[in-house]
Amino acid sequence: MSNAIIPLLLDSLASAALIFFAAVGLTLVFSVLRVLNVAHGSLYSIGGYVAASVCLFITSRQLNPYLSFAALLFSAVFVAAIFGPLIERSLVRWTYGKSEAVQILITFGLFLMLEDLQRMIFGVQSFYEDTPMRLLGTMTIGGVVYLNYQILLIGMALLVVIGLRLLINHTRLGRLITAVVTDREMAQSIGIDTNRIFILAFSLGVFLAALGGALATPTSGIAPGLGADTMVLAFAVAAIGGLGQIEGAAVASLIVGVARVLAIYLVPSLDAVAPYAAMLVVLLIRPYGLFGSVTARRI
Amino acid sequence: MLSLDKVSVSIEGVRVLREVSCVIVARKTTVLIGRNGAGKTTTLRAIMGLIAHSGGAIRLDADDLGKMPAHTRARAGIGYAPEDRRLIPELSVEENIRLPALALKLDRAEIARGLDEVYGLLPELHVMRSRPAGGVSGGQGKMVALGRALTVARKVLLLDEPFQGLAPALALDYARTLGELRKHRPELALLITESSPALLDRIADRTLQIERGEILLPSTKDDKAHVHEV
Repeated sequence: MSNAIIPLLLDSLASAALIFFAAVGLTLVFSVLRVLNVAHGSLYSIGGYVAASVCLFITSRQLNPYLSFAALLFSAVFVAAIFGPLIERSLVRWTYGKSEAVQILITFGLFLMLEDLQRMIFGVQSFYEDTPMRLLGTMTIGGVVYLNYQILLIGMALLVVIGLRLLINHTRLGRLITAVVTDREMAQSIGIDTNRIFILAFSLGVFLAALGGALATPTSGIAPGLGADTMVLAFAVAAIGGLGQIEGAAVASLIVGVARVLAIYLVPSLDAVAPYAAMLVVLLIRPYGLFGSVTARRI
Repeated sequence: MLSLDKVSVSIEGVRVLREVSCVIVARKTTVLIGRNGAGKTTTLRAIMGLIAHSGGAIRLDADDLGKMPAHTRARAGIGYAPEDRRLIPELSVEENIRLPALALKLDRAEIARGLDEVYGLLPELHVMRSRPAGGVSGGQGKMVALGRALTVARKVLLLDEPFQGLAPALALDYARTLGELRKHRPELALLITESSPALLDRIADRTLQIERGEILLPSTKDDKAHVHEV
């Protein structure tokens, strides 16, 4: 029995980890900027493309293959440093205080642009670069083979949960973010440059999405359409957890991860439906998500 | 010295302030009296840059505040305690008071000095410093908001209806604290809004009347001194 359950569990957790990276960035950006960034999934796939490109470069030049782990992290930082400030300053800032319809239209426009940009640069063929996964190898317990890379994914997701919680609760930046989330005007009155917090929070969200994409490429490859798929999944997770909730996003990612993997093992045809069925059930019982409240301002 | 020169503010097409001019001078307590909706809060919000003014100028000494983003007020030395307190409920009382110092990146010694001063003036805050701000009463919350504003108010302190909703005993405490503050920080320019003048009679150096967005007569106890300073 355990031979069937442990791989199932590991698959669920690894799948949850990848969804979590995308969802937690979305939810963080929403709680600080109060903008639902529809283009968030594109930043996940851009992170993937950049990571795959850098890893391919490393292998083609026959550099030390272990550099590809650094490449995954570097890609996420790179994408965040370029796209975070650029998108926030040029587009998102104009939507502050506007209606949700305007915010969604503008970020949807951005999504279309970013998707085409990726097709222009990386083409429409799928990328597959699994050096980091092969390097970590496998382990066999009780006759079942596990990918060590999956454990890395789960560990990274846990690190992000803990890291974000430490950042919010125990750093100066975290205090300022909490103040801006709770009361933007009061935050300004006590001397917080809210524009700076918006750029930082948005870039952090981009970093988390790009990190998710970068970590996902070695396991699943990357192809056009990944951005849209990720966005919809991340939205389902954010809705289940309650928008603006870090731990909520983690628990919701687990629920969606388990739902997906169970569906794949038991009724493969329901794979795509399972996350939304889970979302439907949760929202019917708790309309603001598992950890959400009407005001949706805690983070 | 904080000065408003023909400041007008419109909210959704309605003129809320009409060419308001007044001078809030250092070492004086100015009280702005007006009914609900007369424009008291809007005046303070305009000074804080939380609402745009359509005409005129707001100056702190030589600086045109209208050209500076809202968050620069704190660094310029203006402290603001809004009527509805607006604390961060999940942070402790002390963390709320420290927040402006954190935002302005003051060093440890300065933060400690600021806290000491606030606790010296408002000892009850020291008693409840580790309680979450969401758990204190409305009146205590006003004290916390005052303490928080004090940490940045080097030049000007703006208090929006501080006595609104205070129990009589707390109101007395609060008035006594303001008297102490006057002695402790003689250089401070204090602007307090209220709807009833009685509460502030003893601490007011000057009283301004605001009605339907216009300041009526600048009746002051020491008009001559005021004119001289202008």
